[in-house]
Amino acid sequence: MQNGRTAFLFVAPALVLYAVFVGLPILQVFAYSFFTWDSGTIRGFGGLENYTRLVADGVFWTALSHNAIWVVLTLAFPLMAGLITASILAERSPRTVRLLSVLYFLPRTIPMVVVGIIWLWIYSPIFGLLNWFLDSVGLGNLGAAWLAEPNTALLSLNIAGAWTFFGFCNIIYLAAIQSIDPSLYEAASLDGATWWQKFRFVTTPLLRSTTLFLGLYAAIEAMRFFDLVYVTTSGGPGYSTEVLTTHIYKTFFLVGDFGYAAALSVVLLAIVLSISGISYRMLRKP
Amino acid sequence: MTKRLRLFQYAVLGFFALYALIPVYLVLLASVRSEADLFSGPLSLPWPIDLSTYKRVWFESGFQGYFINSLIISCSATFLVMLTAPLAGFAFAKLNFRYKELVFGLFLAGLVLPAPSVIVALYGNLNRLDLLDSHLGVILPQAALLLPFSIFMMRTVMEDVPSELIEAATVDGASIFKTYWLIVLPIVRPGLMSLALISFLFSWQEYLLPLVVIQDETLKPLTVGAAALQGRYGVDYAGIAAAGVIAFAPVVLLFLVMQRSFVRGLTAGAVK
Repeated sequence: MQNGRTAFLFVAPALVLYAVFVGLPILQVFAYSFFTWDSGTIRGFGGLENYTRLVADGVFWTALSHNAIWVVLTLAFPLMAGLITASILAERSPRTVRLLSVLYFLPRTIPMVVVGIIWLWIYSPIFGLLNWFLDSVGLGNLGAAWLAEPNTALLSLNIAGAWTFFGFCNIIYLAAIQSIDPSLYEAASLDGATWWQKFRFVTTPLLRSTTLFLGLYAAIEAMRFFDLVYVTTSGGPGYSTEVLTTHIYKTFFLVGDFGYAAALSVVLLAIVLSISGISYRMLRKP
Repeated sequence: MTKRLRLFQYAVLGFFALYALIPVYLVLLASVRSEADLFSGPLSLPWPIDLSTYKRVWFESGFQGYFINSLIISCSATFLVMLTAPLAGFAFAKLNFRYKELVFGLFLAGLVLPAPSVIVALYGNLNRLDLLDSHLGVILPQAALLLPFSIFMMRTVMEDVPSELIEAATVDGASIFKTYWLIVLPIVRPGLMSLALISFLFSWQEYLLPLVVIQDETLKPLTVGAAALQGRYGVDYAGIAAAGVIAFAPVVLLFLVMQRSFVRGLTAGAVK
């Protein structure tokens, strides 16, 4: 029935668009990274110069460590939150499930820029909701300039990021829990298991592959997020919230060093591709 | 289940409901709060309700234009995706051709691509094509960046179409394209709906691409406009709040009305 050429015509429009605006630029980025640049023009062939420079670039390592911390924080908070809400919701009426999962999911539909603006405001030292709340429950001395202090900035941002992610985890976990054989829970109940025991010994182990999927998804997102940081702190104060993407953006647009920005991009690309390579293998054989 | 456990569970569900809602509530309130009412606490109900901020932001701060630009960019990018992704998804799911796995693999790799990596070279290319400072300069790369996800999703959707149906049609003499158009597309309509919504949502949310490509004030979309307003007038709380609401209201409403389609699309491929 199939004529190979006709079939290829089905793919061609997508392939052309993709090749011109994604494929070609990626190849160029590889090429750029081997040249030295001066405010947007090539100065000469640099070989691996940009890559050796990267090794000694403190900001690069700081940024990379922030991406790594972001992965850990995401695994610790929104993923856990999603797992717990989903396990509780699984025993509620369909109406409650639907209402709450939509509610939890709602923040994800808000553009990240606006998310940044909203949380910038919550954390504001003067008019901020958080300090106002701490004040009104008598903990005013805990108040801080959350995003302006190096110690709290990254963690505070992560809570804003988690705001848009836990609802997604909740929905994915819910779907997975609903596909667990109910007789397993019945058997556990007959054996006198408490809710916590069922959560700990039935739900959590059976959701291993879902957790793996969400964890790898979160890791990739943590490597490539940009909007939230750029709109709120632009990587500051100092470099305390700098991540790879903001470092690339600044190197490219503010410094104009295309070669070094390209080298950073290649490294970032290598990282996400290896994470996805690992996930592909791990998710293939459970 | 003990009463204490039940109580604890409701507390957890309630806590996360507040976590999800309070920030949205806060912005909605702030956007209609009059200046005189500014210091009565961030969560108190504003009175009198003051809609003049919206009027000011919409007409004087250029948000009418930003809104229209967002609409143009998102609709066009969605249109391009709808034109190309279902075709390709169908071919990957149901047809055979040389290098099929390789080509699909190339699209798949794009699934994890960090946009800033592409933009380093894309910027110069758009400049050479004379596409900087134009809507098209955002729309085309935007659609291209949406393709990996869209094609992946469309392949999953198309795989569920019974092959016998397609074979029967081609045996009756219909061309593959005609079969696709008249038989396959009507069957996968719910999937197409999801794809259209997701593409629209993602283009609407995009920030980096228009930030880099567009410098002309009159061409900028809402995300760029709202971020600029925040940067310039950090103390105009009501104005920034209203701008934020204008930037998220259309997609949030769309999500609330079409939740099923949205969730099906956003979790496509994840729950398999």
